Amino acid sequence: MSIVIPPPPDFSSHEEEVPEFNPGASSRTWYQYLLILAALVFAAVSVGFVGTIIWNSAPEWAHHTGTLLGGNGWQSPAGPFGGLAMIVGTLETSVIALVIAVVIGLGASISIVFLIPRRFRNIVATFVELLAAVPSVVYGLWGFLVLAPWMLKTVIPWLDSWPFAKELFGSVGQQDGQSLLLASVVLGVMILPTFVAISREVIAVVPNDLIEASLSLGATRWQVIREVVLPTAKIGLFGATFLALARATGETVAVALIAGGVANVQFHLLYPGTSIAAWIATEFGEAQGNEVAALMALGVLLMLVNFGLSLISRWLVSRQRKVLAVV
Amino acid sequence: MSDMIDLVESPEPDTNLRDEIRQISDRVRRRRQLRSKFMITLCALALSVTAVPLFLLLYQLFDRGLPVILHTGFFTQLPQTPNLITPNATGGVSNAIIGTLVLSLYASIMAIPIGVLVGVYLAESVSKLAASLRVISQTMAGAPSILMGLFAFSFVVRDLNIGFSALAGSFALAVLMLPVIVISTEIAVRGVPHTLREAGLALGAKPHKVSMKIVLPAALTGIVTGIILAISRAIGETAPVLLVIGGGYINSWKPLDPVSALPLSIYENAKSEWPSLRTEVWGIALVLVVFVFVLSLSARIWASRKQQAR
Repeated sequence: MSIVIPPPPDFSSHEEEVPEFNPGASSRTWYQYLLILAALVFAAVSVGFVGTIIWNSAPEWAHHTGTLLGGNGWQSPAGPFGGLAMIVGTLETSVIALVIAVVIGLGASISIVFLIPRRFRNIVATFVELLAAVPSVVYGLWGFLVLAPWMLKTVIPWLDSWPFAKELFGSVGQQDGQSLLLASVVLGVMILPTFVAISREVIAVVPNDLIEASLSLGATRWQVIREVVLPTAKIGLFGATFLALARATGETVAVALIAGGVANVQFHLLYPGTSIAAWIATEFGEAQGNEVAALMALGVLLMLVNFGLSLISRWLVSRQRKVLAVV
Repeated sequence: MSDMIDLVESPEPDTNLRDEIRQISDRVRRRRQLRSKFMITLCALALSVTAVPLFLLLYQLFDRGLPVILHTGFFTQLPQTPNLITPNATGGVSNAIIGTLVLSLYASIMAIPIGVLVGVYLAESVSKLAASLRVISQTMAGAPSILMGLFAFSFVVRDLNIGFSALAGSFALAVLMLPVIVISTEIAVRGVPHTLREAGLALGAKPHKVSMKIVLPAALTGIVTGIILAISRAIGETAPVLLVIGGGYINSWKPLDPVSALPLSIYENAKSEWPSLRTEVWGIALVLVVFVFVLSLSARIWASRKQQAR
């Protein structure tokens, strides 16, 4: 997917230490003007980024807000363009992926911090980072050409052989292996490194005093982890969860390849579906006129969700730092 | 706890009390330790499960990709579309390799100077602008990459009327790289010890001289690591370039020509009807993954070497 950037230390808390950057306007040099100019360019790019997408989606919001948020079915090229299938698909895939990533990732972070000897910790961390460095299209390719045929050949017949399979799963045998469930599992693998990168850090900074105190009272290792480490790191772990969720909502090509790309509200997880980002990727090439605006509107939706989750995550992780500063 | 209640109700508290307490506490301890071992094993299992997909994926990549890239002309020929007479003629991927290089080159030219300068600004300034840019850069760093594609499409392809081109693609990638470079530069510059800066100031150097001649060189390792990571992230991204580079079938270094890219040809070949193209795609994926791994591993190793040297 992408390189994981752990949130940088919270600089706002110790800003007083930093010598002030020459506030007297009289002595400003070309260098400082250059820095400010670059900052303004960056600000302009960011504002342009958000503004352009919102601006281009405006025609669709103006007339078809209801269809976009609640309509089912995408009638290309004339419309109406219903976004409900993509919204539901995004929710389903990212929530399942999140559950997978959090369950496995929490165990992995605990073992990286408490089980792996310090010498090997870097090697393990590098492995996890490599998992993050694999481009998302390669995960998509893997799911599309290896896992989906495998699902079709092995897993689905096996599920079909269960008693009452038809009643439970419907006629699953008809699909060609791509499904929301498979996309969610691959998505879970993809956001796992994001979760581990942050939760590992959050767990590692739980003060040793606390751990040693409870060990000295006779607690077992698991009791220390469950009663002391996890509660202390709770807020930061929520931060990691939100960041992983943000990543999951934005993941594009892997879902586009694996989920099957069917714009239909689908609660049957073994059936193909799509997500907002994947739908933009697959439909944009042939889109004309209103459809472009509709896809941009979906993009605005995605942006709002993603930015919201990122900001919540950032807030939680910085609060965790403050909590630990007090301990 | 229930064991404790048994203890109170025992009929002869005086004689056997000590033994009984020992027995019970042994039992409780054993149960607790068993539980602890079980949960710790589960955690270790979770860590090994994490490694499974990476190994499976790498195995598949090498198993299916190596024969493809050893095929003559894979790196040097242009792609061909298979037809019914020559269903196995796939040609090479020279256009995608050159396209990826071109895109990352132009994206770096756009993103690195601004990113580094903004990072230095954030590290050295305490203004309101800096505080808000910090939040913005962290939010943008996690933004879905498809949105960069939408931005580049509306702004470069349509509004500036440049059309589907390498320039539009590298603009999208530059927007993607910018926040990563900003964040890593800020961390690197903040990591430079204050004593260095103060020593420079005490010698009478102007603040901007200190910043350029002392702080920046000291932070260089961190800055370069961040830049390499940003590039390796940009190289692997499909979504932003998918919408704007046009997928050209020629070898071109010109910014206004439509180009292809490795991730894009993976995406398109994977969905192709031709089995030969679906075989070739593993070779392209292998090349891309090796590219990205070499970049990010070298950044990581270099950074840790320098850290030890310090």
